[in-house]
Amino acid sequence: MNGNLIGHLFRLRYKLLWARTRTRNGKIALFVVGYCLFFLSLTFILLGGIGAGIVAVRSGKALWVAQGVLTAVFFQSLITALTMGFGMNAIFSDAELRRYPIAERERWLARHLVAIVDPFWILSIVLELGLLVGLSLLDAASFGMGAVAVLLLFATNYLAARVLGLLLERLMQHKIGSLVLLMLILAVSFGVGTMGQWLAHVPGAGKALGMIFSCTPPFGAASVMTSAGFHVVSGLALLVCWLAGLVFALTVLERRAPSFRSESKKISISWRSIYDRLADLFGSENAPLTGYWLRFYLRNSRFRTMYVISLPVAAFLTFSLGSFSPGGHSDPVHIFVVALGTFPMVTFLGPGKFVLNQFGYSGGGFRRFFLLPADPAAALRTGSYASIILSASLLIPAAAVWIVFEPLRFDVRLLCMLVASGIAGLMGIHGIGLWATMFGPRRGNYNQALGNDLSAMGNTVLVGGMLILMFLPQSLAKAYPSLTQPEQWWLAIPLVVASSAFYVFSLRSACALFPKRREQLMAVVEGRQS
Amino acid sequence: MNAIGISNLVKKYGNVVAVDDLSLTVPKGAMFGFLGPNGSGKSTTIGCLTGLLDPNAGSVEVLGQPFHVNSVELKRRMGVMPETLGLFDPLYAHEFLTFIARMFGLDEAATRKRVTELLSALELADERKILGEYSAGMRKRVAFAAAVIHSPDVLFLDEPFESIDPAGVALMKHWLRRFTEQGRTVFITSHVLETVERLCTDIAIITRPGKLVWQGNITALANDGAIRHDGHEFRALEPLFLHLTGERYADLSWL
Repeated sequence: MNGNLIGHLFRLRYKLLWARTRTRNGKIALFVVGYCLFFLSLTFILLGGIGAGIVAVRSGKALWVAQGVLTAVFFQSLITALTMGFGMNAIFSDAELRRYPIAERERWLARHLVAIVDPFWILSIVLELGLLVGLSLLDAASFGMGAVAVLLLFATNYLAARVLGLLLERLMQHKIGSLVLLMLILAVSFGVGTMGQWLAHVPGAGKALGMIFSCTPPFGAASVMTSAGFHVVSGLALLVCWLAGLVFALTVLERRAPSFRSESKKISISWRSIYDRLADLFGSENAPLTGYWLRFYLRNSRFRTMYVISLPVAAFLTFSLGSFSPGGHSDPVHIFVVALGTFPMVTFLGPGKFVLNQFGYSGGGFRRFFLLPADPAAALRTGSYASIILSASLLIPAAAVWIVFEPLRFDVRLLCMLVASGIAGLMGIHGIGLWATMFGPRRGNYNQALGNDLSAMGNTVLVGGMLILMFLPQSLAKAYPSLTQPEQWWLAIPLVVASSAFYVFSLRSACALFPKRREQLMAVVEGRQS
Repeated sequence: MNAIGISNLVKKYGNVVAVDDLSLTVPKGAMFGFLGPNGSGKSTTIGCLTGLLDPNAGSVEVLGQPFHVNSVELKRRMGVMPETLGLFDPLYAHEFLTFIARMFGLDEAATRKRVTELLSALELADERKILGEYSAGMRKRVAFAAAVIHSPDVLFLDEPFESIDPAGVALMKHWLRRFTEQGRTVFITSHVLETVERLCTDIAIITRPGKLVWQGNITALANDGAIRHDGHEFRALEPLFLHLTGERYADLSWL
């Protein structure tokens, strides 16, 4: 084992991260991510974990609380990694490591050791360690065995995300991949939604569910932390089995190279494809560039995946968040309030990463925009138009789903308010996206289906936007209940007008700025500057 | 009439001077080689000539008119193969060339004819991959096709022959010669001095940081003649280039 070289690669990962701080943007990103987010989050998470540990001991249900906390952290990390791409960036590829004198196993180990020390995964281990510290401070857990369990759980969590990510990537390379994924999400959403009824009406269902969960890594780790004797051994054995199984699965998946669609697909030259006909709607001057952007979006596996799943995800969020009304019971009005936030989300999830970093995935193609005999800003304008038309198209099925499943009596005014909220979100995010594209660009990998390659600015807008959409309508409805009444439907008009005006203002400003900022953008997009 | 004119061009990246007071003219119909060591400012100069970069000082003229990033009509008469090739990776070759043809104002019939002929001539017609999946040589062929599809009056080619097989290079040279015979101008950067020597009629050599050290006609070299400079006689381009840019010999004991 060439430990020395693996150690060098490990250090190189952080040297590369540190190198980004040489630029002004890098320094700002380091401050925001490193200080505001990372250290504050560490403190809160550590305190939160310890708090959970203390609650666990005081309530006398240490095992139960540990199982709950660890399961929540495990699945939250998994979902966040798969949907937002945090912790899924490939720092070094196998091909890059082949230039060094290290064997295949060492390359595998180096790649995953370097990837697992991502700040995102560190956040999850800190929360788990926090729980362990809380439990062991009150003598409810053995710190030594608990630490072993936390480390194994942490590695299992990372490996599970990688395996699922690779499976999703493989799935999306098939023509019916999007459809299969949609069905899977609908099945999971439906399963989770009906879980309560199933547990209440089917005898023994709770026990069966408990049996299934007892075989998961978080339950194994919880046993090791809070139990003694046989339970510790069985918990460790469970974790080791999961770990071995996931390592095996990951190795097999990585060895089986994905087959590219285009290799087996016969291409016949089509001079007037659906992209061109759609692009013609934007006028002959904008049509070629709009046609390019439509292809750019619709040929991207991440865009297609998120585009397909955004409606079921938003529907799931609407009905799951809507079922937790302030009164503690299912309230149709509360579902409507939540839908006011999730309608814009439908238009936000698919193109989010491109809207916030429009040229980050163009690579060397970026400079082509300035060689064309057209206003350079046309590239920015048409990219934004293409994204808007694709995102807006989701509002129609979203409205149809609302009409079918509407918990309240059908009222066209409510539908009008929801669609207006969707349009406002669409125009708002595209407006902000233009500023993020100008001032927070980052070089990304177009072909990478998973991984987060947005800048600190882009991530702040993405995560902040999601949180605002999830909680702002609820806060407003709480403070001003009359705002969500059908009689106030006319508010939809100024909302749409204001958001559209913001978009137009942003587009005009960004178009004027674009030629002036092209050299900085080119340096970032082509990888000469981070 | 000059096809390209550069006057006192200065380009800086922060405090680093990339091109320093460069003045140059390229006659119309010339096959012009623009040479220099790595980092001497060749690509930066092409960037300023094609609207990719803004000069800090000086001016650029193309086809007798001042040129800047918004010179749309001038760009219509220029073909550029940039350093990074400027390809749109998610597109198929025919889609990319059709896009370029439409942007440069070709009608539908001309677009179809030229795209089909270029794909066939450059052996790209059977490719079933998107551009992102092409080899380096194939990418270069597509970028070259994109630079010439609209029959420009001035062609800027940044390292056009690297990674392309000999048959492809021969075809490109044949096209370029015909291009200049029609009175059009070609501006090439290349490190392959033998190719430049046989292909170009005029050259300019710059050295770091973007300073012109020699400009002249080199047709004598292709006809087994010689060029005189600084009291020396040069029968090939390589010794002239090394003389002007500084020869470097270093022995490494371990190599």
